[in-house]
Amino acid sequence: MIKISANVQRALADETLQGNLRRAFVDTPHPRDEAVSEVPNWEELRRYARDVKAHTLSRLPEYLQSLEEKVLEQGGKVIWAETGQEAVQFILDLSHRRGVREVVKGKSMLSEEIHLNRALERAQIKPVETDLGEYVIQLAGEKPSHLVAPALHKSRKEIADLFVQKLGMAPTGDVLEIIATARKLLRHHFLTARMGITGVNFAVAETGTIVIVENEGNVGLSVSVPEIHIALMGIEKVIPRSRDLAVFLKLLIRSATGQKMTSYVNCLNGPRRSDELDGPQEFYLILVDNGRSKILADDFMRQSLSCIRCGACLDVCPVYQTIGGHAYGSTYQGPLGAMLTPLLTSVGEAPEHAFASSLCGACHEVCPVGIPIPQILLKLRERFQSERNQKAASLSLEKLAMQGWARVMCSPILYARLGRWARMLHKIFGKSGMGRLPIPLFSRWMKHRDLPALPPRSFRELYSSSQEVS
Amino acid sequence: MLHKIRHACAGGSSVELPAEMPEFPHYSDPVEKFRQELERVGGVFLDGRRSEELAGALGLVLKESDSTEIYWEGEELFQRHGISFTLRDPEAFAKGSLLYSFHFRHRVQFPIVLNSKPAERSDLARISLSASGARFGVAETGTVVHEVKAGRGRLLSLLPPAHLVFLSERDLLMNQAMLFLSMPPGQGSALTLVTGPSRTSDIERTLVVGVHGPEKLFVILTS
Ligand code: SF4
Repeated sequence: MIKISANVQRALADETLQGNLRRAFVDTPHPRDEAVSEVPNWEELRRYARDVKAHTLSRLPEYLQSLEEKVLEQGGKVIWAETGQEAVQFILDLSHRRGVREVVKGKSMLSEEIHLNRALERAQIKPVETDLGEYVIQLAGEKPSHLVAPALHKSRKEIADLFVQKLGMAPTGDVLEIIATARKLLRHHFLTARMGITGVNFAVAETGTIVIVENEGNVGLSVSVPEIHIALMGIEKVIPRSRDLAVFLKLLIRSATGQKMTSYVNCLNGPRRSDELDGPQEFYLILVDNGRSKILADDFMRQSLSCIRCGACLDVCPVYQTIGGHAYGSTYQGPLGAMLTPLLTSVGEAPEHAFASSLCGACHEVCPVGIPIPQILLKLRERFQSERNQKAASLSLEKLAMQGWARVMCSPILYARLGRWARMLHKIFGKSGMGRLPIPLFSRWMKHRDLPALPPRSFRELYSSSQEVS
Repeated sequence: MLHKIRHACAGGSSVELPAEMPEFPHYSDPVEKFRQELERVGGVFLDGRRSEELAGALGLVLKESDSTEIYWEGEELFQRHGISFTLRDPEAFAKGSLLYSFHFRHRVQFPIVLNSKPAERSDLARISLSASGARFGVAETGTVVHEVKAGRGRLLSLLPPAHLVFLSERDLLMNQAMLFLSMPPGQGSALTLVTGPSRTSDIERTLVVGVHGPEKLFVILTS
């Protein structure tokens, strides 16, 4: 079971983390706002993308089959993995058959989700993360804290120290120096590794094209130098047609980094053809379910599968901005993680995720595919509560209190009378507000709440007296 | 597994595909827009539509990238973009080895290495400047589209620290929608949209150019 509450205090007390979060979210305005506002038909693009996703999800089996056909036609292979474990096992088996000892990896959240690196290491295969942020995280032995910027929680100095300590770099505060060091070391891995593993941003059903968006060129190298390319994708990543890419790329890239285009968008159609100069000889596309079909079965929750992993909702979330990514304790963080973690596992596994939100609605507002995250979180809270109620004895204290409250709220006479009594009590205890009531039964509920001072007269009383005057 | 997905989909509501694509921008001067966008992301735009300009542009690229040789993918690049060249040693060409040419007609003289055989990885790792032809350009974003097909590879445009792209004016499209509508589906094994040099913002969200891919990107527009 993942408990966020256990991590929050630590995150709040961590001064370095708080400083890094402040730098990322308060001191520097995110370029997204500008990139979005200069597109006059942004809302139209969002609606289009939302509808395409809803359509595709409603016909997912057809589109996945068409994708498989096309990939096969181009000489690639398709593997269906119902669980993360199945996907991992396939990769391990293939690596053993081909004698692969080292793997270069492009950034893939799905590979985090299925804990691929751990499994590879256990099997004596060395995974090398090649995205700079992921490389930093791997060196530090940590997990990514942001969808798009995995090392967002680290400062330049922390990263430089890490490079000095782990790679023997000469001490420097210069970002260029850090990058040159990584470039040189990783270049060597690119040229020697025999397997490249990447994620997938979009897969086009009509052409069998796998699309991967990146800035560094590490994905391009990972899918070009090694003999084997394995692309890992969640089943929800398929889209119907090439032309839809124009819209999705525009939405994804502007939302993720505020760029108009990333440096590279790799569109891949299977392994190298015999008359091409380079490229992988073998191409495998692994379609991973790992809990997604369960979400798909719920017509309302299905919307969460439209996510294109842009990270915009993380950047605007007041909770994420305050506690950072690691406190969520899960692969996916921020509003997306709050929504997806309990859905992919169960509300019992991640009981607090749906509650780690102020429901302010900022995530829904920025989401480029218009996912109503707050509504989904509310539904999840409801689900959590009803599961708990079923488990708890039918006459719990909370239930009694709520039943009593409901009765009071339904009866104007009772409500008015109780209000009067409360104000009388208030007069007896003094006018400074009641602070924390020393009632042991409510102590847990009162721990984070103060009872405000009550006005001498209720609104109803004021209202009826003003009526008398006029 | 497919059965399970089919089952999960069964009860849900069905939604139609939207009938119309959203509008994408058009420009009165697409070349100018392309130049602006390319320069914004740190690329170098050079107009080589007139032959004297072309020779000058090539000279500039060599100077800027601190190179004396350009590696080409294939000879057709010369013809397609109207770059006149003379082979210094025609016999070497027959053997498929490296060739030198002099652009004496434009009084810019420099050796060009024509690489017409499958490039070795080790070769690619030490080349300082490579060149290829773009299948398309996109004005909206300053993007060039690199197509891998017969006789072409993925690495030539990715491994060297500087890369030069020839883009023919007639292949310059207005926007991304036009690109994906006119994209020939699945002929070669890869199509890469390249927009400016390689970059990262992974450290404190500071933009740094030149990570794993080329640090310098030149685009010469030809007619
Ligand atoms: S939920 Fe929306 S905003 Fe958040 S990562 Fe997914 S697509 Fe982006």
